[in-house]
Amino acid sequence: MRRQLRSRRAPAFPYGSRYRLDDQDEVNQNYLADEEEEAEEEAQMMMASNSEEEKEEEEEEEKEEEEGQGQPTGNAWWHKLQVINEYLWDPERRMSLARTGQSWSLILVIYFFFYASLAAVITLFMYSLFLAISPYMPTFTERVKPPGVMIRPFAHSLNFNFNVSEPDTWQHYVISLNGFLQGYNDSLQEEMNVDCPPGQYFIQDGDEDEDKKACQFKRSFLKNCSGLEDPTFGYSTGQPCILLKMNRIVGFRPELGDPVKVSCKVQRGDENDIRSINYYPESASFDLRYYPYYGKLTHVNYTSPLVAMHFTDVVKNQVVPVQCQLKGKGIINDVINDRFVGRIIFTLNIET
Amino acid sequence: MAGGAHRGGGRWGAPHSPAPPGPRGCPVPLKAAAQSLCRKPTWGQYCTLLLFQRKLEIYSVEHHAATDIKKKEGRDGKKDNDLELKRNQQKEELKKELDLDVSLQFAFVLFVFQGLSSTRAAELLAQNGPNALTPPKQTPEIIKFLKQMVGGFSILLWVGAVLCWIAFGIQYVSNPSASLDSVYLGTVLAVVVILTGIFAYYQEAKSTNIMASFCKMIPQQAVVIRDSEKKVIPAEQLVVGDIVEIKGGDQIPADIRLLSAQGCKVDNSSLTGESEPQSRSSEFTHENPLETKNITFYSTTCQRVFRCTATGMVINTGDRTIIGRIASLASGVGNEKTPIAIEIEHFVHIVAGVAVSVGILFFIIAVCMKYHVLDAIIFLIAIIVANVPEGLLATVTVALSLTAKRMAKKNCLVKNLEAVETLGSTSIICSDKTGTLTQNRMTVAHLWFDNQIFVADTSEDNLNQGFDQSSGTWTSLSKIIALCNRAEFKPGQESVPIMKRVVVGDASETALLKFSEVILGDVMEIRKRNHKVVEIPFNSTNKFQLSIHQTEDPNDKRFLLVMKGAPERILEKCSTIMINGKEQPLDKSMAQAFHTAYMELGGLGERVLGFCHFYLPADEFPETYSFDSESMNFPTSNLCFVGLLSMIDPPRSTVPDAVTKCRSAGIKVIMVTGDHPITAKAIAKSVGIISANSETVEDIAKRCNIAVEQVNKRDAKAAVVTGMELKDMSPEQLDELLANYPEIVFARTSPQQKLIIVEGCQRQDAVVAVTGDGVNDSPALKKADIGVAMGITGSDAAKNAADMILLDDNFSSIVTGVEEGRLIFDNLKKTIAYTLTKNIAELCPFLIYIILGLPLPIGTITLLFIDLGTDIIPSIALAYEKAESDIMNRKPRHKKKDRLVNQQLAVYSYLHIGLMQALGAFLVYFTVYAQQGFRPTSLFHLRIAWDSDHLNDLEDNYGQEWTSYQRQYLEWTGYTAFFVGIMVQQIADLIIRKTRKNSIFKQGLFRNKVIWVGIASQIIVALLLSYGLGSITALNFTMLKAQYWFVAVPHAILIWVYDEMRKLFIRLYPGSWWDKNMYY
Repeated sequence: MRRQLRSRRAPAFPYGSRYRLDDQDEVNQNYLADEEEEAEEEAQMMMASNSEEEKEEEEEEEKEEEEGQGQPTGNAWWHKLQVINEYLWDPERRMSLARTGQSWSLILVIYFFFYASLAAVITLFMYSLFLAISPYMPTFTERVKPPGVMIRPFAHSLNFNFNVSEPDTWQHYVISLNGFLQGYNDSLQEEMNVDCPPGQYFIQDGDEDEDKKACQFKRSFLKNCSGLEDPTFGYSTGQPCILLKMNRIVGFRPELGDPVKVSCKVQRGDENDIRSINYYPESASFDLRYYPYYGKLTHVNYTSPLVAMHFTDVVKNQVVPVQCQLKGKGIINDVINDRFVGRIIFTLNIET
Repeated sequence: MAGGAHRGGGRWGAPHSPAPPGPRGCPVPLKAAAQSLCRKPTWGQYCTLLLFQRKLEIYSVEHHAATDIKKKEGRDGKKDNDLELKRNQQKEELKKELDLDVSLQFAFVLFVFQGLSSTRAAELLAQNGPNALTPPKQTPEIIKFLKQMVGGFSILLWVGAVLCWIAFGIQYVSNPSASLDSVYLGTVLAVVVILTGIFAYYQEAKSTNIMASFCKMIPQQAVVIRDSEKKVIPAEQLVVGDIVEIKGGDQIPADIRLLSAQGCKVDNSSLTGESEPQSRSSEFTHENPLETKNITFYSTTCQRVFRCTATGMVINTGDRTIIGRIASLASGVGNEKTPIAIEIEHFVHIVAGVAVSVGILFFIIAVCMKYHVLDAIIFLIAIIVANVPEGLLATVTVALSLTAKRMAKKNCLVKNLEAVETLGSTSIICSDKTGTLTQNRMTVAHLWFDNQIFVADTSEDNLNQGFDQSSGTWTSLSKIIALCNRAEFKPGQESVPIMKRVVVGDASETALLKFSEVILGDVMEIRKRNHKVVEIPFNSTNKFQLSIHQTEDPNDKRFLLVMKGAPERILEKCSTIMINGKEQPLDKSMAQAFHTAYMELGGLGERVLGFCHFYLPADEFPETYSFDSESMNFPTSNLCFVGLLSMIDPPRSTVPDAVTKCRSAGIKVIMVTGDHPITAKAIAKSVGIISANSETVEDIAKRCNIAVEQVNKRDAKAAVVTGMELKDMSPEQLDELLANYPEIVFARTSPQQKLIIVEGCQRQDAVVAVTGDGVNDSPALKKADIGVAMGITGSDAAKNAADMILLDDNFSSIVTGVEEGRLIFDNLKKTIAYTLTKNIAELCPFLIYIILGLPLPIGTITLLFIDLGTDIIPSIALAYEKAESDIMNRKPRHKKKDRLVNQQLAVYSYLHIGLMQALGAFLVYFTVYAQQGFRPTSLFHLRIAWDSDHLNDLEDNYGQEWTSYQRQYLEWTGYTAFFVGIMVQQIADLIIRKTRKNSIFKQGLFRNKVIWVGIASQIIVALLLSYGLGSITALNFTMLKAQYWFVAVPHAILIWVYDEMRKLFIRLYPGSWWDKNMYY
């Protein structure tokens, strides 16, 4: 009833200003002849709104609104739900989401054709794009240069913590290294790859799509770190071997015919924490004959050259941060953001 | 204060209770008292102080009583059926008021000449507050600012930002070296929200400031008697009980009960809408304060009548004045949401709904795919950020303010930015008559002489008086008009156009003076030549005005008696009539002709005056004859009737055209006025609100000679409804009336009825514009969807309540407003379509990243650079787009059906263009990766390896090995590529959005130069980001090779071609499935 009364007159009026409205009515009484009726109505209005009349107008306003909305909300929600329900499926007109089955199928067909032709167009674009990209040589290599460095064994961490006397703590390094070196087995290398002259680039001219030969890098080159003599790669004696490899980059050649060298030192702290490192091959470098790399597709049997670092005398029972850097012309090893370009940092913590 | 208002209300009215036994409010004895006082001025000096204090005591007692009753009411009201008690209370209250009135008489007698003492006045001022209207409550700035901070999408982005920080917090707890990415993102989001909030706030504040400067009022002065001295004080300091002096031309400084008045007329048009000034004297003539002659109201003006002076006592000040009450009625009307605000809200709901539901859906999918919950949260944020057009709301604000500026240039000042569009969706205009449709100035409209009606020019400059002026009758008539007139131009206005000169005199005399000045030339000179010997000014008992002049012809020694007045009274005094310059006896047929003409002119709602003259015979009245106005020693009958002249407040010349334009734009124009129905109808007819061939029920009844009840209501197209009839109508009847009659005039309406009418219109789902200038219009102005106030004649109350102000008072500016409003609505559609399109292109990367495990194609921060960088200026540029077709020839949009963002727009933007855009952007992305070594096929499900920080020798398709950072850098290059891909296609998107139906080539590719500025800005921003800021890692941009900028170009062209096809089919097959589903 209250709502009705409200809309009967001026619904938006806060009741706080009711008496003003009343005045207004009176002001207008020259227009409004029938006073009695007006009074009647007025009184009704007052009656309806008496409960809200308080001194503070604003408070009233708020309260008013709350009350006004409070009552019908439950119904409104239910109504809304019904509307949504009907929208989803209208049994009378057999419509779902305001469309009939016919309309839906039409839409599906049209969209099917639209998307099919869109797919065709995009496939065409993609196809023509990849026709233009050579599968043998990457179009650009500037992002992958300068070469990054990685070590083996690697198991999600660059911190080598192990206890010499507890094989369990280092056994997985040994397994990892053995696994990694399977591809470097002398027999395999001899069978697949050629023995090319050291000290110079192994350049193979010819068509892009021609298969390229790869130079041998035998496991035995790694001497004490090959795992042939010492199957534990020195871990059992506290003299761990760590293999370092340079990331492959198609067409990369160390500049000016100088092979890239590897050198390791303590990164931070006492330099004497590492008293000696043996490098294998002894030159501690990647021979030029392993470059350039011609890409996975043609240079199938290419094996990355390695440098093994044999930490023969490292301070024990202490974390030693080691930095191994590549050195050579055109090699960058001091990129701030990338700690794996031209260098690698790892820690050794050998417990006895 | 509330109590005070109540008290005042009770005193002035309560007509709904039994009438009190005697005159109330403005008691007659008051006048007697005042008169006796005039005779014995020394009275007051004896005991003023004592009685004065007593009076005040009564005042305050009454005050308390009122509050007590109010308190009681509050309690009693809780019982539902306390009607009787309520009435009793009202009676009680009334009695108290009677007491007050009686005491007032005594009290007041004493200090008319002394006035209040300054100290007492100061006390009263402190007690009742200054005599000024309380300005409408302003929302505090900080609230406005905070509203901007949480409105629209902001809340969504805040949630995103907080989620980011929470995610980082959790990450940090488990791994202190966690990357700060999510902190950055959260901060960036917060900054974005704050910046857009500040921007929107600034925009709004700017438009409000225009208003503030506009509204500054010149402080009003009042002459008041205090401490027995005349003082000039600011009107604000007036208090109840002050004795005020008023002279012609003044604005009444408060509600005043006149104690003495001479020849005063007040213009109540700002209060009632009546254009005719009403005379005021100290007599109590009517129970109703609005009608009685001895009360003048705050903010009405006293006419510039010669020697008008009045003294009165202030009976109400500030908010307790009639005007104050109407103003507070206006402020009580809630501010409705503007249609565009509703539309934007709707749009925000759609987009936020899509964002949140897609976000949550993929959150669940991500969790199901065994993603870490934290990662899933990050995805959720990214999806939200991708879906929310961060810059759009700011863009909309700018677009609206651009239109507002454009409209301001065309004299439409917009107070509330959102109101810019409202006029465009307006379907009903409720226009006030006086001052809006009419010039608010009496002007001669018709003349009747020689048994013929002549039409006078009523346009604003009035210079083109083309009726036949050759007749001898006209010579006589013009002489009477010029001579029998007391109005005078204020001196020193020779250079001012005649119609704009200031005149001392009442409205109709002013009209006649100007009329004759235009036709005859210098009226003052004519009057000088025809020296006036005697005159009898107009008074309400005589109903005529008379003067006797010497003639300008030196040979003619006769005196000329000229007379004007109420036509029937003039005719009574005549025995002859002048036809074609010759006197003829006034026979029955002539009298009949006179009556026909009189009725006809009266029927036009015009005020008719009759004119007659008489040459006094020279033998009876020699040159030396001494005339006496008191004894009237000259003949006043058997005169010669010359003609009739009728005056009206004529419509502005631009109005009929504007009304026609509104009609053709499907807008119903309703006249709502406080004026008389006949005048209202006449004006409505002349401006086309009631078109020439439509009739009201009454017209039909008259034509067919049947009773009104017998007429089939459906036959009538027009309706004239008076306030009286309106009062008896139920809302349903009003609805029916509004729905059934295309042409409606409401006359004699009160401010509150105007409100009811507006509400009735709003119930029809119409967007209602109300125009008005008076205080009486202000509640309706406030209630309307858009209130349009007049800038020159408009009262401050009206301007305060309005959303828009017509600086030139020209109704036709509304048409401009409608046009601009419709245009901006269309253009906002385009802007939103443009902005929504790229959402898909921004969203797809994340979805594909989650589902297919590609390296992330575009970063969240990069997205923000699209939303807030490249896309901003282009989307604003669309606001400059010209209309596609004649927007003034279509129906106004339906509030609930024609949405700003409809299904078609969303589907077309998201599923058509958006998808094409996404594909195009992916093409660029794949190209970059493929050329660097990662072919698309190898990218799928690469995500885990790709994102692993430890994996520094990830192999690509060529066998090359990538460190983590190298991959990261490539990923950023991918971001940049994707970004450029979207940007390039957004250029195409921008171009296609120029039109919705017509071909781009028809619209003109280069007509809107701003579009090209937008395109240039897009490219420049992208270049800057890529090459200028490419070295800043935090922004994730890299320097992109030149060729990648062109990869998406074919796709952009494809988009253009596809959209042209869409438009072609829409044009070719209107009404087809395609049209229904593809036209947004």
